Amino acid sequence: MRGATILKATDNKTRDLNSHTLMAFSGEAGDTIQFSDYIEANVKLYSMRNSTELGPSAVASFVRAELARSLRSRNPYNVNLLLGGVDPISQKPHLYWLDYLASLAPVPYAAHGYAQYYCLSILDKHHHPDIDLEKGMQLLQMCADELKRRMPIDFKGAIARESRGQEWHTFSGSRQ
Amino acid sequence: MANPMSIIGKNAVAIACDLRLGLQALTVSNDFPKIFQYGPDVFLGLTGLATDVQTVSDLFRYKVNLYRLREERDISPQTMANLVSTSLYEKRFGPFFVNPVVAGINRTTGEPFICGFDSIGCIDFAKDFIVSGTSADQLFGTCEALWQPDLEAEDLFETISQALLSAVDRDALAGWGAHVYIVEKDKVTKRLLKGRQD
Amino acid sequence: MSRRYDSRTTIFSPEGRLYQVEYALEAISQAGTAIGILASDGIVLAAERKVTSKLLEQDTSAEKLYILNDNMICAVAGMTADANILINYARQAAQRYLLSYNEDIPCEQLVRRLCDLKQGYTQHGGLRPFGVSFIYAGFDPQRQFQLYQSNPSGNYGGWKATSVGANNASAQSLLKQDYKEDCSLREACGLAVKVLSKTMDSTKLSSEKIEFATVGRTKDGKVYHHLWAAEEIDVLLKEHGLAKPDDSAETG
Repeated sequence: MRGATILKATDNKTRDLNSHTLMAFSGEAGDTIQFSDYIEANVKLYSMRNSTELGPSAVASFVRAELARSLRSRNPYNVNLLLGGVDPISQKPHLYWLDYLASLAPVPYAAHGYAQYYCLSILDKHHHPDIDLEKGMQLLQMCADELKRRMPIDFKGAIARESRGQEWHTFSGSRQ
Repeated sequence: MANPMSIIGKNAVAIACDLRLGLQALTVSNDFPKIFQYGPDVFLGLTGLATDVQTVSDLFRYKVNLYRLREERDISPQTMANLVSTSLYEKRFGPFFVNPVVAGINRTTGEPFICGFDSIGCIDFAKDFIVSGTSADQLFGTCEALWQPDLEAEDLFETISQALLSAVDRDALAGWGAHVYIVEKDKVTKRLLKGRQD
Repeated sequence: MSRRYDSRTTIFSPEGRLYQVEYALEAISQAGTAIGILASDGIVLAAERKVTSKLLEQDTSAEKLYILNDNMICAVAGMTADANILINYARQAAQRYLLSYNEDIPCEQLVRRLCDLKQGYTQHGGLRPFGVSFIYAGFDPQRQFQLYQSNPSGNYGGWKATSVGANNASAQSLLKQDYKEDCSLREACGLAVKVLSKTMDSTKLSSEKIEFATVGRTKDGKVYHHLWAAEEIDVLLKEHGLAKPDDSAETG
């Protein structure tokens, strides 16, 4: 189904950067793909050159450095990102919030764009530092439900990816 | 976004900042320190555009680390002030949107030192206090009222904390707790102020 | 025979040799010895200081041991002037990595960066190779404590104990004989002075003649590196009965 406000109902806006780091992005249509391709390629190039993978915090800093460089160029990328991963050495999970101005913040939960106004209040209330993955998925479901209920434009659902393991989770919107 | 401030005491300086990171009215993070350490007793507080706070603090880490390796000694607050000034002026026609504050104690003289800058590196030396950030206006008021010469370390902590918290309570764009550093000769104390979490 | 080939770094001789690289290695084998020993809880680097004179300013910086960044140090054998160029390059490379990834550069990557530069000078015309060998000691979270050695050709390798400079062959065989797997940093320091005392010309050592540095971890897990002060070296020498009996006996 397509229309004035919807071109595609199944666009995947996530990437695997390496075996333990994931990225989700939003922003201007061309920029998002262009920039995430560039980041994905460079993170994978690093793995090949050095036969070791960048940890989530190193990936986040690298992406920030690239976006900050782009910000002061003649045509900056307009991309907002969320980066998540489990550090292969310390085995600790990390989540980073990164906006198109290249402000990087480590956060326990995050959202970009309109979703921020609806989701952050839910997460403020229900998130605890020691929740497990299952509870995390429940919180995401609550956020998806809230977006379906309140977003001014039609919410087509969401997909979520676990940073360990290959599973894909889908959250229904009006698509199903 | 937020505000560091620095005040001077008797053989000691204090530097403090709140912890909020926000996009206009929306708070993104409430644990975003804006004070950075560049030696045993040299500190830099940065306010302004969050991305430039990070870019500038990383850039100075690069420059100061190389300075330390080359000179085989730590940087003094006076040298740091000139480094900040010249580095910011390099971007005179496309500046970083930050208002830095330097605070520290000079190892050789034992003298406390503070100063502030505009975004293109004009130094503002001060003998009492320096404020910067969204609550700068409020901070001028609270500092004028509370600061007095020759404060001892403990009084210095009390003064800077009260001045910062009082000012931040009158600014919707700042708050969510604060970091306070008290720098004495050969001793640095870092404290976390809880503040109003709203 | 070699005359036609040795004036250029870029050209192989008919026997398949690069004379300029070999001359550089020869220059290094005249330089003061440097050794590095990997222990279970750290690394020790020790080096012989060739230039000693009572007229020399003693409190100036180390001659053969340098800090590369927060997690890495190195020992130099060869031309100090050449080494300064490479060390400056390594320091900048390490800080550039820190700037983009917000963590310290992994040891092997920094060694490789330097060696890529060294290799370039064995291939591109008109320039001589760097007359320096390095021993690197460092720590990174992935591979823990590591010891590397590199030479003017741009080759490098990881070692448990190694040496460069004058008498490095005899130092190497002494190390091979006495090195114990999983030795402590303390034991490694002992082995280092023992080997140095045997490879150096003078029988009795003093803090004027050697430099010492260690990389280790503090109790709370923070990596430290430490260039030893003269007094610390003297204590170590005394402990192992290698100290000079009387300081005023020799004037250098």
